[in-house]
Amino acid sequence: MHLHPFELHRPTTVEETVRLARGLPGGFDWLAGGTDLLPNYKMHLNVRPHLIALGGVDELRGRSGGRVGAMTRLGDLERDSEFGASYPGLAEAIGEVATPLVRESATIGGNLLVETRCFFFNQSLPWRESLGYCLKADGDRCHVVPQKVKCYATFSGDVAPALAVLDARVEVAGPDGRRSVPLLALYDAAGDGIRRTHLGPGELLVAIDLPDSARGMPANYQKLRVRPAFDFPELGLAAAGRIVDGRVESLALAAGGLETYPRRFDELTGPLLGERLSEERIRALAESVRLAVRPVHNTFLAPDYRRRMVAVFVRRAVARLGSVPGGTAG
Amino acid sequence: MSAPLKVRINGQPIESPCPDERILLDLLREDLNLTGTKRGCDLGTCGCCTVWIDGRPTLSCLTLARSAEGREVTTIEGISPGTGMNDVQRAFVEKGATQCGFCTPGFVMTATALLRDRPHPSREEIVRAISGNLCRCTGYTKIIEAVESAASGGTS
Repeated sequence: MHLHPFELHRPTTVEETVRLARGLPGGFDWLAGGTDLLPNYKMHLNVRPHLIALGGVDELRGRSGGRVGAMTRLGDLERDSEFGASYPGLAEAIGEVATPLVRESATIGGNLLVETRCFFFNQSLPWRESLGYCLKADGDRCHVVPQKVKCYATFSGDVAPALAVLDARVEVAGPDGRRSVPLLALYDAAGDGIRRTHLGPGELLVAIDLPDSARGMPANYQKLRVRPAFDFPELGLAAAGRIVDGRVESLALAAGGLETYPRRFDELTGPLLGERLSEERIRALAESVRLAVRPVHNTFLAPDYRRRMVAVFVRRAVARLGSVPGGTAG
Repeated sequence: MSAPLKVRINGQPIESPCPDERILLDLLREDLNLTGTKRGCDLGTCGCCTVWIDGRPTLSCLTLARSAEGREVTTIEGISPGTGMNDVQRAFVEKGATQCGFCTPGFVMTATALLRDRPHPSREEIVRAISGNLCRCTGYTKIIEAVESAASGGTS
């Protein structure tokens, strides 16, 4: 499949990139690893006349302690054994992204901003044309929840939940300078699969910052999908926390693959802080997460199954963080 | 039209006209007639189009040709020694790891890079390393055996 003609820009500094982004008529896309953008372009999904390739911007690359450049490749992080030992849950999530070949090109920033997905959107041009298109590309209606105002496309990155439970922040650069925000503040929690994030025009991710508290924190990631490789998450659940002798010192849960944005469940895990865990409490927590999420039928597996599996994953995640005396929570 | 693309392919410096939107796979197959690299799904799922860029296995169907500017691209045509086959290719033949053969170049590129970086991988590591390459004929068993055989110097 050939791509539509576009102009490729290759800046070398963040400042040049931001300046460039201001003056491109007709709109542009950032090109990070290209493993999500280029398939979408091949299917003529929201193509733009300009691409700004970020691969030549040195500042965006590589890791230094808890700071990871947005253009650092997932494959490089996977091979970074010190990184994996420091952030075990994050390493699990990275290792579950797509396939080893995709991870050689795909970047951590690209995974955070991966396009939301829906089986009425991720289709070829003739397929979409025959149905009359959808809100997210070329059309004016949603085929999942028929209405004309809101898109339900699913957030499908694996890395965001794993970073969210570690209280990661992201540095953003744009026309008004740089700012640092908690990772989840980046995403549109009003739940629109088109707008997706609160990044302003011309703003790009520079780096991810992991706090000192994240280093060595017990954490894990579980992914639900049909095939054990390539597939995007139908549900991804990240957990981090310290459970010592059955007592919860800290606990965070976050999920992706269920709604239009990744989210944490602090309102559900908060009441457990300082408490002694029991099998009953873990089951209650799992059930409360199941009731809190609202997947729709726009991916391969049925929403009710994904909700039931989030409860299973919560029980397994907590069990892995710290064994519960006298019980098996799995 | 942008300046010609300058890239080294299998050790040879190449200069080729190249629109910005040209995909590396198309450059290789259509412009340079290097048709050993296969177009399978064209969406990054199947691994048939795997080449190396600066030694790193890369899906050429998801790479802009311009991204390879000034770098070294290795294709299946460039992976063999002067004559004959490399260890992985020979093991694929000996173990019957090829049926229709369409996926084979991609598997060879992936497996050769694996054994270069990790000369004695476990079976589990092999399975994981090739999980981005699809084969619709073999059921993978023979492919895994071939990689194991190549890793042990062709004696197993």
